[in-house]
Amino acid sequence: MAPSKKPVKAAKPAKSKPKPRAAPKPEVPARAAKSAAAKPTPAKPAPDVARADATLFDPLTPGEVADALRTLMEDRRLSSMAKVGRYRVICTEPLVVKPPHWMAGHRLVRVVAYDYAADRTVDACVDLDAGVVAHLELSKGQPMLSRDEEALAVSIAMVDDRVRAKLAIGDTPQSTLHYWGRTTEDLAYARRSAAVVFGRPDGHASVVAVVDLLENLVTQVVPAERW
Amino acid sequence: MSNKISEANWTFHWRLTESAGIMIYLADFRGRRVLWEASLPYVTIDHQHETLDVGEDPGEVHGPWWVPLGTRTLEGPVRVQSFRGGVELSAAFAAGPYHYTQLWRFHDDGRISPWLTIYGPGVHDQHTYHPHWRFDFDLDGARDDSFERFEDNRWERVEREGWFPYSGEADEHGNVWRQVDVASGAAINIRPHSWDDAEVFAIRYHDGEWAPYSPRSAAGSATFPSAYVGDEPLDGDDVTLWYVAHVHFDQSFPYTAGPWIKVEGLGG
Repeated sequence: MAPSKKPVKAAKPAKSKPKPRAAPKPEVPARAAKSAAAKPTPAKPAPDVARADATLFDPLTPGEVADALRTLMEDRRLSSMAKVGRYRVICTEPLVVKPPHWMAGHRLVRVVAYDYAADRTVDACVDLDAGVVAHLELSKGQPMLSRDEEALAVSIAMVDDRVRAKLAIGDTPQSTLHYWGRTTEDLAYARRSAAVVFGRPDGHASVVAVVDLLENLVTQVVPAERW
Repeated sequence: MSNKISEANWTFHWRLTESAGIMIYLADFRGRRVLWEASLPYVTIDHQHETLDVGEDPGEVHGPWWVPLGTRTLEGPVRVQSFRGGVELSAAFAAGPYHYTQLWRFHDDGRISPWLTIYGPGVHDQHTYHPHWRFDFDLDGARDDSFERFEDNRWERVEREGWFPYSGEADEHGNVWRQVDVASGAAINIRPHSWDDAEVFAIRYHDGEWAPYSPRSAAGSATFPSAYVGDEPLDGDDVTLWYVAHVHFDQSFPYTAGPWIKVEGLGG
């Protein structure tokens, strides 16, 4: 199966004097990455999922989000990303693992970020109870667009002369979608990209502009009927 | 509004996610655990070009795209309503020319309807929707499950992870796939919509596993959930199921995609 994720070693608390991050390890199949956070399970685990704590699924408070992001950014494995500062947090959501996993019952946060400097995705599980990054994956996968990226794509498309030349009076941005090319001829095949759909107020789409978010430029302008 | 609902023999929780629509979690039927978590991680959209000349058919020039169904695309509130024999949650989402209504319907006879109504014009007529549902059923406990599909006129146990498209064969109730708790014999039966062109991915659950925040893995690699499919044994373990529909747009839209799910063997 195609490799898609790269697991990073188990959690360690941040240190006061960060060291440069070690060279990336060879990629391993997604299959292996999925179990990277797991400890060996007993041969006959107790089926106690019925006693799970429902509050662990609750939405995060602003304080929990801030706590998770601080913990992640202070982790020495991400020191270069934090120092360069060319990343965007895509989302933060509660994460709940099943018993008998050792983290079951802990308040966990999943943080997904995109590191533009390294063109990679950071997918982390932060254990708020322990104050550590419990699991970290660095991959070439492409997470969804953040709200900031959606807004940025629109602003780039709006000032592009080729886009403006194709817009009719009344055309406005209708939506921004996460797009990737089908073939290597398409720049969006391997680069983080957004498609901005313009259209009339009645909902009829008129123009699609593809924005390369690494270079912040429009790479395609296509009439909607020919998309 | 409380996010815990106890009605129609069901007790379940829900929350609106950032990208996977309404998530249902910790669902019990008649006091017994059925579901750990289920959601709609993404709906991708492909576009085709229409031509009458086969020689000039350019195929699919552009790749797929998607927009998260979640807090940023929600239109109005999540609604909780009782209906005759059950209770349902619904939420409308809009992203430009794409419009959806996500539904979770819980019936007092043990049925669940995780559905998605698709409407809106799209950027042109030649496009296909691919809604992906992810189900983590925990029938009477997480492990000791098996996965079966109906083929050659009988239920066949599937030993290893894989991709299992609907071949047109189903049991007398229309069920094509099922997850069975080996110890209790309780089962989750899955009946696809006849026009969904549906397929199921059966994947072994791993502690610490989480659903991806995108269908896209690395460039040139399989998308999720295909990228998760390996060769691990399923029998007697904890299984995660992905139900994927393929719905081509046509003038008869709106169209409601998604399976019927029926809990069996938990009493009643």
